[in-house]
Amino acid sequence: MTAIIALSLFGISNLFLGFWFPRKTIQLVTLLFLVVSMALTVSDWNHELLWFGNMFRTTNTSINFSLIIQLAAFFVVAFSKAFGQDDEHTHPAEYYAIMLFSVVGAILMVSFDHMIVLFVGLEILSVAMYVLTGSDKRNLRSNEAAIKYFLMGSFTTGFLLFGITLVYGATRSFYISNIGTILTTTAPESMPSFLFIGVLLIIVGLLFKVSAAPFHFWTPDVYEGAPTIFTMFMSTIVKTASFAALFQLVSGIFGSLYTVWVLPVYFISMLTLVVGNISAVYQQSVKRMLAFSSISHAGYLILTVSSKQISTTSSILYYSLSYTLATVVAFAVLILVSEYQSARVEKPENFSSFEGLAKNNPGLALCFSISMLSLAGIPLTAGFWGKFFIFSDTFSRNIIYPVILAILMSAVGIYYYFKGIIAVYLKAGEIEKIEVPTLFKMALWACTLGTIILGIYPSLVKSVF
Amino acid sequence: MNYQPQDFLPIFVQLAAALAFIVLVMVLTHALGPKRHSAKKDDSFECGIESIGDARTPISVKYFLVAILFVLFDLEIVFMYPWAVNFKQLAWNGFYEMIVFMGLLLAGFIYVIKKGILTWEK
Repeated sequence: MTAIIALSLFGISNLFLGFWFPRKTIQLVTLLFLVVSMALTVSDWNHELLWFGNMFRTTNTSINFSLIIQLAAFFVVAFSKAFGQDDEHTHPAEYYAIMLFSVVGAILMVSFDHMIVLFVGLEILSVAMYVLTGSDKRNLRSNEAAIKYFLMGSFTTGFLLFGITLVYGATRSFYISNIGTILTTTAPESMPSFLFIGVLLIIVGLLFKVSAAPFHFWTPDVYEGAPTIFTMFMSTIVKTASFAALFQLVSGIFGSLYTVWVLPVYFISMLTLVVGNISAVYQQSVKRMLAFSSISHAGYLILTVSSKQISTTSSILYYSLSYTLATVVAFAVLILVSEYQSARVEKPENFSSFEGLAKNNPGLALCFSISMLSLAGIPLTAGFWGKFFIFSDTFSRNIIYPVILAILMSAVGIYYYFKGIIAVYLKAGEIEKIEVPTLFKMALWACTLGTIILGIYPSLVKSVF
Repeated sequence: MNYQPQDFLPIFVQLAAALAFIVLVMVLTHALGPKRHSAKKDDSFECGIESIGDARTPISVKYFLVAILFVLFDLEIVFMYPWAVNFKQLAWNGFYEMIVFMGLLLAGFIYVIKKGILTWEK
């Protein structure tokens, strides 16, 4: 819990460090800040406590989720290359500060025990993301993405708030634990009917943030328009935090209202899988393909929402971790390649600009391929076990058809992920040796190794969760 | 005391009465008043000199910065009023919380000054 106070103070001090220190130093200091906050998060391990007037609960699950979030933030900062050299148009101190602030919001979202804390956390996270999306001020696409994200995001926050209000009206409590006991002890027939509308509205509000179909229309445009480093941030941290909140609400306190949400949630999950995977097939741009791939991964994760097995929490954690590691590497290589190609080709983010990467950059090609394999769910990578745990958890609850569809759709996924690998290894193209900074290279290999180690010894992490 | 929905009926009666009065007065003035038309009379009422050009001119970004800062620090005062009213009840605990709040805002203010947002001539 001290981590959120520390991160807020670190964020403020980051703003001031920008006046005195060069951008490289600020990057290293931000990495240090995140390590300190991770250590503070771990110090709450096995202490299930309530904080801030019982509104904030630290459990081992919430600590695991906040650790994944902070780890993702750590890698994003490591991959940021201190935002280049342009002193007039990029402001690294401010970007890092906003990233730390949004991590605070994400941590609030995974450890709330009060609906208002959920709302405040979501807003801290979202407002920071709106700013970062539009941070490339000279780029029209970035501006468009920011305004689109802002309008759609604030609109769906309205849904979430309306849902919270209706649930409050029905149960007379904002506290998760109170709402849980009231819902389990009262027969659903004697509850006012607007409770069910409230539950569905809360689910809709959170599903927007994880970009599940049919609330996904903003995702490709926003992911494509935002600077790639912040797309990396969005697709890992926002997704993990929102999904943790969704899981805690839906399978936790709304578990007794199973019949109300189970059909909509499975319908949305199947729709998300179909829309995400089929649309990804048609993409020419790697960034857009990764956006649709993140939609489809949201679909896999939603499958687990109703399977309230004891192992489900750890499956979700494992999946989030493997997805984070693979996505981060994919975006990192995309940053390097598109930066190299930006002066040479018209559309540097397309598959075609990856052609022939393996010839002079075997390391980058290997990292990219392993991350693609992990996202596709090929054995010996973390992504395989992530999918395996999720499917087996869902299957063991007799939820057959969605799982069959999910397996079919992950077969579709192999097609577009392999398109990247084919471009890298089999197509002819001229890419010279790309200069990779040391920190960047270390983070790249750390993530790739993590993906492989998790793929070979899944129990290594699964036993901790 | 428990309020039933029908207890709020007087509010709707009041609303209907207010609307009816407005409609009635507007209809009456149009029906009873004399009608004289001329170019000047039909023009929308404006005082001062005649307007020139378009209102959509670019405004210096400094204006927006100052406006946003004004809103921020104005809100700070809004938080201080209820604190001042309940100063005794909140006691030292409230005082410390206010110190933290003011400290954060002060840090923001120093940041704004160091960033050079208030130096207009540059």
